[in-house]
Amino acid sequence: MIVDLESIMDILPQRYPFRFVDRVLSFDPKERKITCIKNFSMNEYFFSGHFPDNPVVPGVIMIEAMAQAAILLYGALKPDKAAQKPDFFLGRVESKFKKTVYPGDTLVIEVTASKILDSSGIVEAEAKVKDDVCAQTTIAFGVKAKT
Amino acid sequence: MAPKNFEVIKQEVKKAVAAIIEIPESKLTDDIKFVEDLGIDSMMALEIVASIEKKYKIVIPEEDIPKMRCLRDIYNSLEKKL
Repeated sequence: MIVDLESIMDILPQRYPFRFVDRVLSFDPKERKITCIKNFSMNEYFFSGHFPDNPVVPGVIMIEAMAQAAILLYGALKPDKAAQKPDFFLGRVESKFKKTVYPGDTLVIEVTASKILDSSGIVEAEAKVKDDVCAQTTIAFGVKAKT
Repeated sequence: MAPKNFEVIKQEVKKAVAAIIEIPESKLTDDIKFVEDLGIDSMMALEIVASIEKKYKIVIPEEDIPKMRCLRDIYNSLEKKL
C-alpha cells in the first residue's frame, strides 16, 4: 500500500485555526500506524489565555491533535471511504497526561489502529516531545457519510 | 497453559460487554438483542468487538459484526475461532 503523505492531509476537514497536524512523517500499513507532527509556535492563539503568565499547550488541544492524526490514519487505511469526505465525530476518549507541552515544542503524534471499520474506529495514540511521552489516549470515533 | 474452559470465557465476555454498555450483568441475558432491546449503537459494537479481539487475540471480520445481534451470537462466533 503506497500512500502519498502530502496529499493525505487533504482528507483532514479541520482548517486553520483548528488544524493541529502540520505534517505526516510516516505511515506503516503493516503496523497500521501513522506518525505526524505538530509544531506549537508562540503565536498559537490560545497561549495568550492559557495561561497569561505561563503558556502551555492545553490537554484538550493535544487530544484534538491525536484525534486529527486518527482521521489521517483512517484515510490511509480506507482511502476510498475517506475520499468521499465523510464527517468524523468523537465517540469516546480516555486520556492520560504525563508531561507539559510548551511553546516551541514539536509534538510527535503516533497513532496505531486497534480496529478500523468503514463506519468507525478505535485507535491508541501517543503524543511525545523528543522521547518523552506527554499524553496517551484511546479514541473511539465514528465516520458518517455526508447527507 | 491449559485452554480456558469455554464457560469461563463466556463469563469474561459477558462481564466485558456489560461494562462497555454500562448495564448490570444480571440484565444481560444470552438472547437479549443488542440493538432492539439495549439500544447499542455502532460505536459500542465496535468497542465490544475490539475488546474481544484484544483479549483473545483473534480477528473478527467487519462483515461478521452485524451478525452478532446478541451475546449468544458472540459466544458462537468465539467458539469457532478459539
